[in-house]
Amino acid sequence: MVFDPRDSDPRGGDSEPRGGDWGAGASPIQRLVDAFHRLPGIGPKSAQRLAYHVLRAPIEEARDLAGALIEVKQSIVLCERCQNVTDRSPCRVCADTSRDRTVICVVEEPLDVVAIDRTGGFRGLFHVLHGVVSPSDGIGPEDLKIAELLRRLGDVDTDVSEIIVATNPNLEGEATSMYLARLLRPMGLRVTRLARGLPAGADLEYADDVTLGRAMEFRQEV
Amino acid sequence: MPSRLPRITKTEAIVLRYRRLGDADRIVTLLTPHRGKVDVVAKGVLRSRSKLAGHLEPATHLEVVLAHGRNMDVVTQAQGLEGWPAIRADLDRLSAAMYLLELADRLTVEHAEAGAVYRHLHTGLARLARGDGQQVVTRTYELALLEATGFRPELAVCIACSEAVEASHASWSPLEGGVYCADCAGRRPGVSPLDGTVLRVLRAYQSQPYEEAGRIRLTDDLAARLEHVMHALMHAVAEREIGSAAFVSAARRARVNGEARAAEAAEAEADFEG
Repeated sequence: MVFDPRDSDPRGGDSEPRGGDWGAGASPIQRLVDAFHRLPGIGPKSAQRLAYHVLRAPIEEARDLAGALIEVKQSIVLCERCQNVTDRSPCRVCADTSRDRTVICVVEEPLDVVAIDRTGGFRGLFHVLHGVVSPSDGIGPEDLKIAELLRRLGDVDTDVSEIIVATNPNLEGEATSMYLARLLRPMGLRVTRLARGLPAGADLEYADDVTLGRAMEFRQEV
Repeated sequence: MPSRLPRITKTEAIVLRYRRLGDADRIVTLLTPHRGKVDVVAKGVLRSRSKLAGHLEPATHLEVVLAHGRNMDVVTQAQGLEGWPAIRADLDRLSAAMYLLELADRLTVEHAEAGAVYRHLHTGLARLARGDGQQVVTRTYELALLEATGFRPELAVCIACSEAVEASHASWSPLEGGVYCADCAGRRPGVSPLDGTVLRVLRAYQSQPYEEAGRIRLTDDLAARLEHVMHALMHAVAEREIGSAAFVSAARRARVNGEARAAEAAEAEADFEG
């Protein structure tokens, strides 16, 4: 039987248990609220709103959502070369012969590939580490896709001459980039780091010393 | 009429670490001289135009204004006092700084007085930034931290019989935090032999002023043995793995391997030219 929003008022008076039974024995609506609540950035109220939105939506929309969720889990794999998420391996970027195969941009997460590709200013290859060195959280270099990077440099991408390390400019990102440089420079590769300085629209008065110092160090002629 | 609690506090602090909160916020763990370790909320710091973000990086000494919240204080202003950029320019110093921060975090509890730990951490980071030897900075920091938190290791006399222990015949137990003489060591389970040179260096680090201790020359091998002993002790005291300790070792291994590889390449080039 399909839920009909006219049967009850979702904003109040529903008969679902509140705050108590969230386990496998909970009602279907409570399980849906619980599932949304587990998503990052979704609080209990947002989870309820999303669940009741699904309830009010046509059954086709719910099927599309469920189908997309299952499909993404079943068909998405990691590219054997760049370790990015993809529906085929090697991924479209790695298989694209028009890209510059002498330079690899190393990023922390798959979303960073999207952000850099969107700029249109980089036509080389990517490599996704799936994290950064974060020792206090128990994440060491061996937990990242560094071995995969060294392997591809040795067998598939032998024309590479430069590695651009595009990890975030924070303590863990710096540690990861310097560790990578220590591994890659002895292989005869040029290792570079994204420029650091003031973001667009920033205010000098509020800039910290490290950022301002680097902005001064890497200044450009106008 | 009872005085009302102030709604804001201004304090110096060193940033120990942070974790993400929602889409754009972070919970930042600060070590302060008077309030100990505190978790505070920094709103909007993940946005690129945030005025606070650059000041709230780990290993930054800053002045911060906190507004008292119901559960956690909120950062309203932050001004970096020392960012120690030299630490961020070298992997050995950076990994050592991460280790210093993690130890300070593990050996303190929230809202408990930690003035001595704060001073030792500030001194340790400043010494790393000015280019002092990573080994002497780290080892003297570990010993000072253990002393400040009540875990001073006993390195001079046997912890079982209180007799003076000869460095060349010493054994030790990280869990019990001290050395054993040859007679007592045989009767104790979990006691392992301790390298005599390592013990002499540790005694010097514990008893001599920092400037004197800094004059002790360490080979790579001795430095590695010292590090191994102290990491085991800190692990025992913290009662959990110190993740940064493994990273300090990994960074050093990568340097040694890189230098060996570069030397091999130079040798091969010289042979080719010869």
